[in-house]
This record gives sequence, C-alpha cells and structure tokens, in this order.
Amino acid sequence: MTLAEFLQVAPVPPEQLAPSLWLIIALPLLGAFICGVFGRMLGRANVHLVALSAVAGAFVLSVLAFWATSHTGPGAAEGSRRLMAYYRNPFGIEADFVRYALAYDYGTWFAVGDFRVNFGLSVDHLSGILLLVITGVGFLIHLYSTSYMEHDDGYWRYFAYLNLFVAAMLTLVLADNLVLLFVGWEGVGMASYLLIGFWYTDPAKAWAGRKAFITNRIGDFAFLIATFLLVLLVSAFTRQANAADYATAGSSTQRYQASLQEKGPVTFKGLEKLAEGLVDTGTDKVDLSTPIEAGPLAGYTFGGVMTAALLLFLLGAAGKSAQLPLYVWLPDAMAGPTPVSALIHAATMVTAGVYLFSRMSALLVLSPTAMATVAIVGALTSLLAALIAFAQDDIKKVLAYSTVSQLGIMFMGVGMGIFWAAVLHLVTHAFFKACLFLGAGSVMHGNGDETDIKKLGGLRHEMKWTWGTFLVATLAITGIIPLSGFFSKDAIFHGVHHNHLHGLEWTSSLVYYLGLVIAACTAFYMTRLYLLTFEGPRSKEARVEHAHESAWQMTLPLVVLAVLSVVAAVYAFPLMRSASDGRPQPIFENFLSPVFGAMARIAEGAKTVELDTSVPGMADYLKAWLVALSGGVAAAFLYLKFFPARVGQPVPAFARAVRRTAQNKFYVDELYELAVIRPVKFLSFILFRVVDALLIDTVAVRGTAWVTARVGSALRYVQSGDAQAYAAVMAIAILGGVAYALIQVLQ
Amino acid sequence: MNIELILFGAFALLTLLSAGMVIFARSPINSAMALVSTFFFLAGIYVLLWAHTVAVLQVLVYAGAIMVLFLFVIMLLNLGESPTRGRPTLARLAGGAATVGLLAVLVVTLLKVPGDVPAMAPEAQASFGTMALLGQTLFTQWLLPFEAVSLLLLVAMVGAVVVAKSRI
Amino acid sequence: MAADVAAREAPNRPMVPITYYLLLAAALFCMGMFGVLVRRNALVVFMSVELMLNAANLTFLAFARMRGDAIGHVSAFFVIAVAAAEAAIGLAIVIAVFRSRGSVLVEDIRTMKH
Repeated sequence: MTLAEFLQVAPVPPEQLAPSLWLIIALPLLGAFICGVFGRMLGRANVHLVALSAVAGAFVLSVLAFWATSHTGPGAAEGSRRLMAYYRNPFGIEADFVRYALAYDYGTWFAVGDFRVNFGLSVDHLSGILLLVITGVGFLIHLYSTSYMEHDDGYWRYFAYLNLFVAAMLTLVLADNLVLLFVGWEGVGMASYLLIGFWYTDPAKAWAGRKAFITNRIGDFAFLIATFLLVLLVSAFTRQANAADYATAGSSTQRYQASLQEKGPVTFKGLEKLAEGLVDTGTDKVDLSTPIEAGPLAGYTFGGVMTAALLLFLLGAAGKSAQLPLYVWLPDAMAGPTPVSALIHAATMVTAGVYLFSRMSALLVLSPTAMATVAIVGALTSLLAALIAFAQDDIKKVLAYSTVSQLGIMFMGVGMGIFWAAVLHLVTHAFFKACLFLGAGSVMHGNGDETDIKKLGGLRHEMKWTWGTFLVATLAITGIIPLSGFFSKDAIFHGVHHNHLHGLEWTSSLVYYLGLVIAACTAFYMTRLYLLTFEGPRSKEARVEHAHESAWQMTLPLVVLAVLSVVAAVYAFPLMRSASDGRPQPIFENFLSPVFGAMARIAEGAKTVELDTSVPGMADYLKAWLVALSGGVAAAFLYLKFFPARVGQPVPAFARAVRRTAQNKFYVDELYELAVIRPVKFLSFILFRVVDALLIDTVAVRGTAWVTARVGSALRYVQSGDAQAYAAVMAIAILGGVAYALIQVLQ
Repeated sequence: MNIELILFGAFALLTLLSAGMVIFARSPINSAMALVSTFFFLAGIYVLLWAHTVAVLQVLVYAGAIMVLFLFVIMLLNLGESPTRGRPTLARLAGGAATVGLLAVLVVTLLKVPGDVPAMAPEAQASFGTMALLGQTLFTQWLLPFEAVSLLLLVAMVGAVVVAKSRI
Repeated sequence: MAADVAAREAPNRPMVPITYYLLLAAALFCMGMFGVLVRRNALVVFMSVELMLNAANLTFLAFARMRGDAIGHVSAFFVIAVAAAEAAIGLAIVIAVFRSRGSVLVEDIRTMKH
C-alpha cells in the first residue's frame, strides 16, 4: 500500500464522523468549564491534565476529521476514484456535491421570520488545515505553558481562558454560516481580552486588554453591518432573479428557495451560489450592474452593495487581524503572558481575517475595488509595521510588529486573489512565529523576565535549544531558501505580481514592489533581533549572570515547531498536476482547489480578476532570495561591525531623529489620540456636564428623590397601621375599577 | 312555583340571615355558631346545583373541621363578648360604603348575565357532580395542582405548629 | 317526538335561573367583605373571610352547572383545601398574637405603622 492509498482510507469514515463534529468544540469548552469552576480545588497537576487532554482530544478528533475529508474508500483505483468524502450542497442541483468535505447540520439555532440561522458545522480542506494548526499548535503551547506558568497562582484561570480560546477559535473555523462564525469571532475576542489583561492588577496591562477589546469592537460593528447587507442582498436576489440566474449558479429556483427556507441566508454555501448567480451570462436578469428594485437598498446595484459589504468586512478583519487603521492594539497585547502572544496574537486568532476572506473568496473576487483595497491596506500595514519594528528594543514588541507585517503580507495575497498562498503563509507563519514567540518566552524565562534585547546578548552558548530553534525560525521568516517562509512568501509575491485586477492593473506592480521592500525590511529587523539576543558578548546590564535553559516542556514545543517550519516548505513544491489541465501545481494549491473552485469559476466568468497559474521559476526564486539576503547582510554588517566599532561616538542628529520616530511607532497612537480620542473625550465631557450632571443627576435623580421625600412626608399621616383601613382603601379601589369596567362594557 | 324554587328561596333566605348573624353578633361564639348554620344552608344550595360531592365536602371540611378549629380557639382564648362597640372610624365608614357600592355594581352586572342553561345530555347528567367524575377530573387533568395542594396542607400544618407553639 | 324530547329535557333545565345563585353569591360576598372591613375581632374577621370564600365557591358551582362540566367543582374543591390551610395558619397567628398582646382586636395590632 502506497502512502497515497493509506491516506485515502480514513480510520473513521466521513458519514460516521460528521455527526460528532461538535465534540471538537465541546471538548475544550468542557476543559474551560472544569478548569474555571473547579480549577482551584483540583490543583495544578490536575488542571494541567484536564486542559492538555481537552486540547489533545480536540487534536485527535481534528486529525480524524481532516483525514476523513480525503477519504475515498478502500481500493479506489486512480481511474475510477470513488469520492466518499462529500456532502450534497444544499443550495445546488441534485448532482452538486461539495467534494473533500464533511458537514453536519444540528438544526435551527434561531429563526425570525424568513431569517434563519442553523447550528451547522463543516470541515473542508481549508477549515481542516486550520483545525490542525489550532489544535496542534494549541496543544504545544498548552504544554509549554505548564512550565512557563509554574510560578503563577492564577494557573487555573489561565488554562480555563486558554481552553475557552481554543473552543471559540474552533467554532470560528468550523462554522458553516456567518452568524456562527461571528460567535467564534466574538469568543476569541473575549478570550484575547481576558488573557491580555490576565495580570489585571497591573493597570497598564488591564488597559492593554481594554484597548484590544474596544479596537476590535469597532471592527465587529462593521462585520455585523456587512452581514446585514448580505442578508438584504440575498433577499433582493431571490426577488429579482430568473431561472437563468439560478442556472448560472448551478442551482434551480425551487432548490435555492427551499434551501433558504431550511438553512437561512447567511451560510457560506448559499453565499457562494449567490456570487455565482451574479455573474453575467447574457440571458439572466441579475448581474453586478443590476439595480436593486425594492427594499432598503433600492436604487443601488448588486455589485455596489457587494463592494460596500466587502469593505465593511475588511474593516472587521482589520480589527481582528491588526491591519491599518486598527492595528494599534496588537503591540500592546504583548502585555499578556508570552505563550498567549504565541497562540492568539501570532498563530491563530489574528489570522481570522485571512480565514474570513478565504472562506468568502467567491464573494471577494466579484469586486476588484474591494480586492485592491484589501491588498493595498495589507501592503501599507506591512510596510509601516516593518519600519516600526526596526527601532523596537522589546523582544516581544519586535515580534508583535513582525506579526502585523506578516499578516499584511497575507492580506496582500488575499487581496490579489492568490488565496492558497495566503493560507499557506498563514500556516507556515503559525509555525515559525509561534516558535519565535515561544523562544522569546524561553529567553525571558531564563533571564529573569528581561525583554530588552539591548540587555540580553550572548545567549547562544547558554540556551542551546532555544538558540537553535530561534535561529531556524528566524531564517524561516527571513526567507532563506530551504525553509518554509521563503516558499510561502514567494508564492504570495509571485501571485501578486502575475494576477491582475480588472480595471486596476497598476495594483499588481505596486503591491509587488512594496512586497520586495517589506521582505528586505523583514530580513533586516529579524536579523537584528537575532543578533542582539543571541550573538555577541553578554550585556553588562543583564539581570542574571547566567541564563538557564528551560525545562523540556518548553523546549519540546520549540523543537517541534522548528521542525515544522522547515518541512512545511514541501507544500509549496510543484509536485502535483492540476486536475483540469495537467500543468504542474504546488501541493497546497492542488490541495485547496476544491475550496477555491467556485472562486476561480467566478473570477473567470465575471472577468474581474485574471488569475495566473504559472509556477515561479528559478529567476524569481533568485530575486527573492537576494532581497532577503541583502536585508540580512545589512543588519549583520550594522550590528556586528559598524555599531560595535562606534560605541561611545556621537550619533548623527538625522539618524537619531529617524530612530526616535520609528521608536515612537510613527506617532500613530498619538495621531489617534488627537483625531479620535480627544474629540470623543471632549464630546463626552459636554455630555457629562449637560446630560449627566444637569439632566440626570440634578433633575432626574435628585428631583425624583426630592418629590418622593415631600410626597412621603405628606402621606405619612395616612399610614395608621390599621389593617382594616388599608383593606378599605383597597376595597374602594376595587370598587372604582369594577365600576369603570362596567361602564365601559355597558357603553 | 315548584319545589326547587321554594327550596332555593328558603335556603337563600336562611343563608343570608345566618351570614348576617355572623357579622353582627357581638359574641364570637354566636358568630361561629351562625357560621356553622350558614355552611349547612349553603350545602343545601350546592345540592340544588347538583354539586353533591362539594356539598358533602362543605359539611365535612367547613362545618366539621374548620368550625371545630374556630370554636376550639375561641374557648382556648376564653373570649367573651366585645366589651364595647368600637367607635366607627373613617376607615370603617369607608369600608361600609365600599361594600354597599360593590354590591350595587355586582347586582347590576349579574342581572346582565344570561341565566338560561343549555340542555345536558342524559349520560352527562347522570354523572354530573358525582364523586366519580370529580375524582376522575382531579386525578387526570388536575393531578399536579392536586399534589401541590397536598404539599400546601403539609406546609400549613407545620407552619401552624411553629407559629402557635410557644417553645419548640 | 317533540314531546319526548321535551320530557327528557325537562329535568335538565333548572327551575331556578342561575342568575339567582349568582346574586346570592354576590350578597354573601359583600356581607363577608363588610365583616372584614368593619369588625374588630380578628376571629370574626376570619369568619367573614370564610364567608367570602364560600361566596366564591357558590359562583364556581353555579357556573359549573351552567356549563355542565366538572372544572368548577374542581375549583371549589381547591378553594376548600386552601381555606382549610388558611384557617389553620390564621388561627395559629391569632393565638400567637393573643399570647404576646393579650388581645385579638385588630385595632391593637398596629405594628405596620413602624
């Protein structure tokens, strides 16, 4: 039996596994409940056991689910491949199956009129790979935390929150509709808030949590409005579409309407069909430029509303994935424990925006405007964050800005329609960035919580495992050739360069060249971080004389993640052949093609995006490699030769000014303070004086009290304590009521 | 004129008379005795309404158990006649006025109620008001309230013991 | 044929209109209420409450006769049960009050004033 055949027979067939998908979410949720409620009673070891086994159980189930999506049944020959892992697309015609996926609908969650939301879960290759990342990396980070948090008394709270986060993130990924996804979206936001402010006795850390929460809330608001717009769009579509529209979508009128009745308007499969129906084929009634006839959106075109909804989703995704203009919370989020930064603020939660757009790729390609905005926002964010990272001295801050920058690169990929590469970069980034963060945590753990890289140095010989893994991860993120980061990043850049948005062709070059600059910057600041932390002599200001290497619970995850950062490169190798035209195709693109099939069809049909399918050549690889190398070498030269030689000499004023600006994060926080927070505060002050102090305090509260006191002292004489007097009053009242009712009836 | 109307008139008159004695008698013991007779006459009226079972219950529970309790308390506390008639306060005058007003309103209302009764099927008539029908209804449709009432009586019993006992 | 039906229906129809029963109940209720509002002796007040409960019972039974179903009887049954509970608790309270104050006159019980 070959490896391929082995992988095609799942231990649990999809039809048996599908009804149990909820367990993947329920296990960590149960763990969170047990740790949160009984944690203090259970003690440290038991809490570790519960939390770890909950995530490990979810991981095993995720592996089974992932395996089941590739299940083709035993003995399937290459020619007559029987597809076992599928479910019937509820919105499609009879022969329309969603391949390589399993789904289960647990019934209606709530229904209001025509609007209905089901509790439906689905796993396809996109959510499957994310399941593995979340539970796999999540498990490693749980393991790491057992050692990292060994001196903290809030361990039970910590593990409860961490499990809660995993459950919410799994909900986000497994949801088959937008509303359930939003539940997970809010859930991870809450868990993130709880964990950033984990050490809530420190006001600065509590504030950081609040900042993250409020910034996210702005994005969530946009997310909700976008969802409502889509609901309205679906209802407008069903009112105006004719049979040809449904035929374009690969469905029929009755089937689509019946599914809307059954599944509600916000499922991803239904939205995918909507997007396909909006493609113009000549005989259909509805396409992107058709005006909506009735309802609240009357007068706007379908395409215009779609663009508006997608831009609002971009704002939502920008909040969660820390893009311009809402990226400011992520660097402050480093106030939380370091493993939390690794799990939530590097590997999983912050990639939710990328996941959202990948999940809705079919809608996104309908609007070149929205795509260009996504790509440019990503590029600008990435560049800005990379520049700020140049001058940060806090090891976690550098990594935080690096995360913002890498997320920007993923947004560039999503925005230019190279979804599979963006998802691949998401995965590889999860590996090497988690490794870097955990390495940083290990460094802090071994050096008395020192985070200033200027006060570290020379750790290479004292923390061998941490050093080795950190070096591998640094090389991966920098883009040195045999490591995963190089291939995933280059796949994005290649796609960005060769994909063209209809009417906005100039974005390809702009984003591509910005990308090259970003790649060089990334190499520079990461090399700087590595050199200052691990190379050179030990700083004189170090807190501890000799750093100690961390326990196996911390080094083991580091090693696993470092290995993964190397081997994940395999995914980008063009070893497979395309199912449609037989050209060579990277493994990951082939693997995700069932997910992005509708997207490719729509892009071709609507002529909005010209998708390139070529594979990067040697020249492309060489160019990217040189860019990365130039950044690294520049940093190496500056920090190994130039600066050490100039110690004690005055720094030029210009350099100092540039450095200060970058160190102060280009004053973005101050700009927000001036442009948003001050006016809001001023308005709040006015409102406080007029509404609160005058209307509510003086008139409403004190006025009520005054009137009550006066009336009370007047009525005191009525209270004689005679029960019969009270009863008589009651009787008179009853008499009045009955007489009134009688008069009403008689009239 | 028929026997039913005569019986109703007699029972109604006697009921009202004894009820008047209940509220106007000076001695509580007289009130209590008048109350017993009220209950008996009311039981007669219940029979006229074909509510035999409830009539029996009325005699057993009210005229039997509850009245014994009243008399027992009166004797226990050794209450005689009220020493003086209380000065009529404003509240009492208001109470009296409210009662008269309510009676007037009720009479006006009730005179509008259609008093005719739809005919009953013979088999329904045979079982109407019997212990069997009441029991069947109680133990099927009203089982939960019935059990709740048993709980209520238990609570009342315990409560009465706790409240009345000087030391437990 | 018609005579047969009439003969069979004859005992069905009460000779006394239901309205009479309702009027009797109203009168009984108002007398009870008068007692509650006017009498000073707590025991007599209790007896008046019993009168009111009986008036309610009478109404239930009258309507039960009118509708020809047993629901009214069930209600009356429950009223009797509740009245028994109420009498037990109420009389216990009267005893407790008499013990502490030596009086059963409602005008002497004015702790609600404080």
